[in-house]
Amino acid sequence: MIATGLFTFATRFCMLNKTVGKQLPTWLVEALSFVPIAVLTAIIVPAVLFDPASHKITITDNPRMLAALVAIATALITRQVIMTIGAGLATLWFLQWVA
Amino acid sequence: MSSKRDTADALFEAPSAQQEFWHGMCDELPLMFGVIPFGLVFGVLGIESGLGPLQTILLSTILFGGASQVVFVQLWAAGIPALIVGSSVCVINIRHVLYSASMASHLGHLSLRWRLLLGYLLTDEAYAVSIKRFTNGHAGPLKHFHLLGSGALLWTGWQASTIIGVVVGNTIPESWSLSFAIPLTFIAVVAPIMRTRAEIATAVTAGSLATICQTLPWNSWLIIAASGGIAAGWLVHHVSNGKGCTE
Repeated sequence: MIATGLFTFATRFCMLNKTVGKQLPTWLVEALSFVPIAVLTAIIVPAVLFDPASHKITITDNPRMLAALVAIATALITRQVIMTIGAGLATLWFLQWVA
Repeated sequence: MSSKRDTADALFEAPSAQQEFWHGMCDELPLMFGVIPFGLVFGVLGIESGLGPLQTILLSTILFGGASQVVFVQLWAAGIPALIVGSSVCVINIRHVLYSASMASHLGHLSLRWRLLLGYLLTDEAYAVSIKRFTNGHAGPLKHFHLLGSGALLWTGWQASTIIGVVVGNTIPESWSLSFAIPLTFIAVVAPIMRTRAEIATAVTAGSLATICQTLPWNSWLIIAASGGIAAGWLVHHVSNGKGCTE
């Protein structure tokens, strides 16, 4: 935990240092710009597709799928984190309550 | 007309340290509507995943990065070796090198103590509001107080909401599926920023690899999927740029 904390701090601090006055290479800047999307979608997709009880991919009869779609639509329209979480959870709760 | 502008210029004084600090806090305030619920959810998740209350709160203090903390507890709860947990978190947080680099020209002249403090406070949210201020021309020589203000408010809100989440965490029943708030939070972050073909390629590749590699040992799926996604995005970016490029 402490090691990851130190590394994170290092990434934030390293470029503020005067001694590292150099520019980052373009290819690295480009590659780093894809990191958030890559990591976050890698977490989102399995969390939506896999059934938490059976650990199998479920597409039909999967309330999380519909909840995720509602959340995506909400995120695109409102661009608000709290609205997106609210809409997604509400959809999930509604579907679980109906089922 | 021109004399009027001269007076205006003479009247304009660089904002004081206190003014910059408050400005930073005010600019950060709207973002707190997203940060505080996220902190609450994280506190609850930390307890659910089997971390102790103190460990959960310490994670917020030491790491101070929402998405990476959620990944940390998620992998930790699954009993993944510490080395894998650590490297996954590092992959997520490596983006801060970019923030740090773009802040360098604004903060590089400060003392080591200042740079250490601001480095610790440099998060997505604080960066977003402060870089805007730094580049729009309103900021004076004391602009680092703006980042101090935005960072301090964010830090306080994040720690407080984590603690509240930890306290109420035990009372929330599992049937609420609160852990689903994690992918929902990430959807809220990712969906609006996907614009180019390269970004879509990144998402599709990372998502499919994560699903296919889900059963691989040591939960290496996250690192494989992230690297694959980054590579795909980079390739598409270069192929689509190469076509129209005359250089």
